[in-house]
Amino acid sequence: MTKVQATISSFWSKGSEKKAKPRTDGGGEGVADATEPKRARKENVQSSNSVEVMDREADVKVPKTDAGTVQDDAEAKKVEVEKETTTEERATKKKAVAVRKLTSETGEKSKNAEAETSTDKASGATWKAGQPVPYQFLAVGFGKVESITGRLEITDILRRMFQTIVETTPEDLLPAVYICVNKLGAPQEGLEIGVGEGILIKALSHTCGKSVNALKDEFRKVGDLGDLAASMKASQRTVFKPAPLTVRSVFKEFKAIAKSSGRSAMDEKRARIQKLLVASEGAETKYLARAFQGKLRIHIADKSILAALAESFPRPEETVERVGSDMSAASLLTHAYNQHPVWDTMLNYLLNNRVVDSGILDACKLTTGVPISPMLAKPTKGIDEVVEKFSDQPFTCEYKYDGERAQIHHLADGSIQIYSRNAENQSEKYPDVKLAMKDVLGPDYSNSEYILDAEVVAINPQTNHILPFQSLQTRARRDVSVAEVKVAVCVFAFDLLYFDKPLIHDPLKQRREKLRACFVEKEPVFTFAKGCDMNDPGEITDYLHESVKGGCEGLMVKQLLGPAATYEPANRSQNWLKVKKDYLEGLTDSLDLVPIAGYYGKGKRTGVFGAFLLACYNPESEQYETTCKIGTGFSEAQLTEFSEFYNEKDRIIGGRKSYYVFSGSTSLEPDVWFEESQVWEVRCADLTVSPAHTAAIGSVDPEKGISLRFPRFLRIRPDREPQNASSSEQIMEMYLAQP
Amino acid sequence: MFEARLEESAVLKKILDSVRDLVQEANWDCNDDGIVMQSMDSSHISLVCFMVRASSFEVYQCERNVSLGVKIDSLAKVLKCAASDDSVTLKADENEPNTMDILFESKKNDRISDFQLKLMVIDQEMLGIPESDYTSTVEMSSAEFRRIMGDLSTMGDSVTIEINKGGASFSTKGDIGSGNICLQKSASVDKPKDGVKITMVEPVKSTFSLKFLNIFAKAAALSDTVVLSMSEEYPIRIEFAIDKDVGYVRYYLAPKIEGQES
Repeated sequence: MTKVQATISSFWSKGSEKKAKPRTDGGGEGVADATEPKRARKENVQSSNSVEVMDREADVKVPKTDAGTVQDDAEAKKVEVEKETTTEERATKKKAVAVRKLTSETGEKSKNAEAETSTDKASGATWKAGQPVPYQFLAVGFGKVESITGRLEITDILRRMFQTIVETTPEDLLPAVYICVNKLGAPQEGLEIGVGEGILIKALSHTCGKSVNALKDEFRKVGDLGDLAASMKASQRTVFKPAPLTVRSVFKEFKAIAKSSGRSAMDEKRARIQKLLVASEGAETKYLARAFQGKLRIHIADKSILAALAESFPRPEETVERVGSDMSAASLLTHAYNQHPVWDTMLNYLLNNRVVDSGILDACKLTTGVPISPMLAKPTKGIDEVVEKFSDQPFTCEYKYDGERAQIHHLADGSIQIYSRNAENQSEKYPDVKLAMKDVLGPDYSNSEYILDAEVVAINPQTNHILPFQSLQTRARRDVSVAEVKVAVCVFAFDLLYFDKPLIHDPLKQRREKLRACFVEKEPVFTFAKGCDMNDPGEITDYLHESVKGGCEGLMVKQLLGPAATYEPANRSQNWLKVKKDYLEGLTDSLDLVPIAGYYGKGKRTGVFGAFLLACYNPESEQYETTCKIGTGFSEAQLTEFSEFYNEKDRIIGGRKSYYVFSGSTSLEPDVWFEESQVWEVRCADLTVSPAHTAAIGSVDPEKGISLRFPRFLRIRPDREPQNASSSEQIMEMYLAQP
Repeated sequence: MFEARLEESAVLKKILDSVRDLVQEANWDCNDDGIVMQSMDSSHISLVCFMVRASSFEVYQCERNVSLGVKIDSLAKVLKCAASDDSVTLKADENEPNTMDILFESKKNDRISDFQLKLMVIDQEMLGIPESDYTSTVEMSSAEFRRIMGDLSTMGDSVTIEINKGGASFSTKGDIGSGNICLQKSASVDKPKDGVKITMVEPVKSTFSLKFLNIFAKAAALSDTVVLSMSEEYPIRIEFAIDKDVGYVRYYLAPKIEGQES
C-alpha cells in the first residue's frame, strides 16, 4: 500500500500555472513525473500532483435562474483564483512534501510503535491548525490498526490520532470518531451507510475503467471489496486529481449517501460513491469501499474509542468525593457512554473541558429518548451452573419470551418511542404497542417519564397464547397503521430503568416493585413478565418445563438484591443467566445431515467455503431435501479441510442434481453444488417451518419445509453413508414433538 | 448577442457523438477564436476537448467571451431534428446565457426550425493542460485505429502501445490468450491518408484502458486520420483533426500502472 501512495497517480495539478491561460493550444511544458527523476524537466513545472488546491472542484450544477449575477460571481471568482494561484502553489508544494513525509513515516511508525512510550506527545499533523483534517490521516491510521491485533497498541494509535486532531482542528474530532466506528449518528437516528455490493462494484467500475464482470471475477479471488478497490484504483492513473478528501467532507458525503432516497436514489448513491472513490488514493480507497459496505474490519469497537479518548485527555485528581471521582478515565467514559450512547454529547464535554473528570457523568446521563444498549444474560450449559451461581442468594426466574427486545421510552412531551436491542427506532413498526402504552401508567403517574425494558411477543389474541418468533417476523416493518396490524403482540415488561429519574443503580427487587406499583397490566397487550422468586435452585427444573410449555424459550435467572442486582447497560452480565430449552434433555437430539452445496467465504474465510447447504434424505422419494444453511461450529482447520475435500476428485459438480430438492430461494442459491459425500452431525436450537427449505415438504405445510434454527456443526460421521442421514420423517417427528 | 452559423449540422452532430459517452454536461467557451469545450469524464481517467475555429463558421459573431453550460444529451436530441445538410445557427445572449437558440435551415430554404434549449450553470473550471513535447507520434488512418481497438477488445481490456525503431505495436492479453498488431512506416501513393507516419525521439511504451480507446475511436467519423502522441509515463493524446481546418477533437488518457493488477 505504501508503494501505491508513493506513486504519483495523476498527472496534472489543477494548481499549475497554466491555469491562468485556459487555452489548450498555447505552448508549454510537459509535467514531469516523480517516478522518473530524469524526466523532471523544467523547474517551473512542479511534480507535486498528488496534492491539489482544496475545494476547487465543486462541479455544482444549478439550472440557470438569475444567470446575470451567477455569471458575474463566477467571473469574479475566476479572477480571484488567478490572483491566488501563486501563493496557493507554494502552499501546495509544501503540503505535497508533508504528505509524502507522512506516507514514508507510516511504515516506520508502526514498526516503532512499541518503542514509543505512551507519554509521547501527539504529532504528525500534515495540515495547519484549523485546517480540515485530511481523510488520508485516518485511512493511514486504519492501515496501522488493521495490521496489529494488540488491544493496547490499537488504543495507542487511536489516542495519537485523536490528540493530533484535538491539537490542530478539534471540530473534526466528532466526524473522525464517527468515521472510526463507521456510524453516521446515534443509532436511534436510523441513518446507515450500508450500500449493496452491486452499486459499489458499479461505482468502482466507473472509477477504474474495468468492466463490472471483470471486477466480479476479481472480487471472487480477492474476497474483500476494500482490497479490490484499492488495487483497481492504483492500477489506473487519472489526468487531474480532485481536491484531497477531508474528514468532514467524507462524513458529509456519507450522510448524503445514506439520506438519498426516491426514484433515482441508486444513481445518486452511485455517483456520490464514485466521486469519493475518484478522489481517493491508496488506503483511502480501501477504507472508503469498506465503509460503504458498513464494515471497516479493523476491530475498532466503541470500547477502543472510549479507551483512546480516555487517554487523549488528562484525568485530574479529584478532591471532592462524588460519584465517579475515584474512577479511572476509561471506566468514567465507559460508564458515561453506556448511559448516554451519543458521541456528540461526550465529545462536546471533552472538547469544552479538555479533561476527563466525574463531571462527564452529569453531561452523559440516562435520558428518555436516548436508548441505551440493553443488559444481556450469559448463556449457561445447564441448570447446574445456575445452582452454583445462586446457591446462597435470593434470585428470581423469569420466563424467557421468544420475541423482540424492546426498550419503551415515555418522553416528557408525552410521546412513546420503542427501540430495538440495537437502539433502532421501532416505533413505526409497532403503532399498536404505542397505542396500548397510552394507559398503562397508574392513575397517579400519568405524566411520568419512564424507560421500560420488555419483550414484544406475538400472541393469538383469542386464546392469549404465545406464538413462535417467526410469526413476529412476518409483521411489516414500515408505515404500519394500527388497522393493518395482522399479528397481534403483547408487551411483557420485566424491568424499569427510569422513572422520573434513573433507577439502574437500584437493585432489581426495588426496580421491579416500582414497575409493579406504577404500571397496570392490560391484557392482552401489556403484562408483566411471568416470574417466580426462589431460594431453592432445585425448583428451577420444574419451572423451566413449565415455561417451555407456556411457549417460551426457557428461563432468565437474575439476582434480586445487592450490588450485583443493578442494571448493567451494554453488558452480558454474570448476574443474569439464561437457561434455554435446548439444554433440556430430549430436545437436544442431534441430526445427521449431508452437505450438498457450498458458499464461498468472505473476509476471514476467503479462499475456503464459509457456509454449506445441508440436506436430509427422503428414502421414499430417494431425494435429498434441504433443511438449513450452516456456517457455525467449524474450526478454521475444519473449514480448510472441507474446502480441500470438496475441491478434489470432482466433488464439485456442474449444477444441482435432479434429486436435490431445492426451493429456489434466491438468498439460499449456493455458489457450487457438491456430490453427496459426507454426513455431518449437527445440533440446532429448534425446528421451524420455512418456505426456503424443502425437508419433509408437504407433511406439516403443503408448500413449506422444515428447517433448523441456529444449526451448529458438531462432527463428521465417517461411519455413515449419505443415504443413512436423518430422514425427512425423523425431522418431521422432531418438529411435531416440540412443545 | 453571440451567434454562430455552420453550413452543415453534420459536423456538430459528429462532435457531439464523439464526446457524449464521456461527458454529460460541460461549458462551451466561446470567444474570438471559436468554440472550445473541455471536460474530464467522471472518473478523471480521460479528458476530452474539442475546438471549432471561428473561421470555419459561415457567420461568427462573439462580442464578449461567454460560457454556455450545455447538457450534451439534450443538445444531441435537438440536433436529431436537423437533416445532415441543414445549416445550423447557435445563438445566445452573452450577458444572460440562460438559453441557447438553435435554428435549422434546409438547403432549399423551404424549412426553418427553431429550438430553444435551457442552459445550465456548471461550476467547472478550465483545466490547464500542459502542452508537452511528445517524444513519439504515430499518424494513421482513423478507420485503421478504430479497427485495431475493436479487434484487441475481443481479447483483453487494456492495450499496451509501444513505439520504437521497429514501428508501432498494439498488444493485449486476456483470459483466452493474447494478441499483437504491429504497424510499420508506410506511404500510400494513391491514398496518402492510408499511410502510417511515425516520428520517434525516444522509444515509448504505456498501457491504456481499451474501454476508453474504443469510445475515442468513434471520432473516426470526424476525420480520416488520427495522431497518437506519447511520452513515457504520461497521458497519451489522441487527436482527430476535423476536415478542412475546422478544428479538432482531442482526447487525453492516463495510462494504467502496470504490476498493480493481480
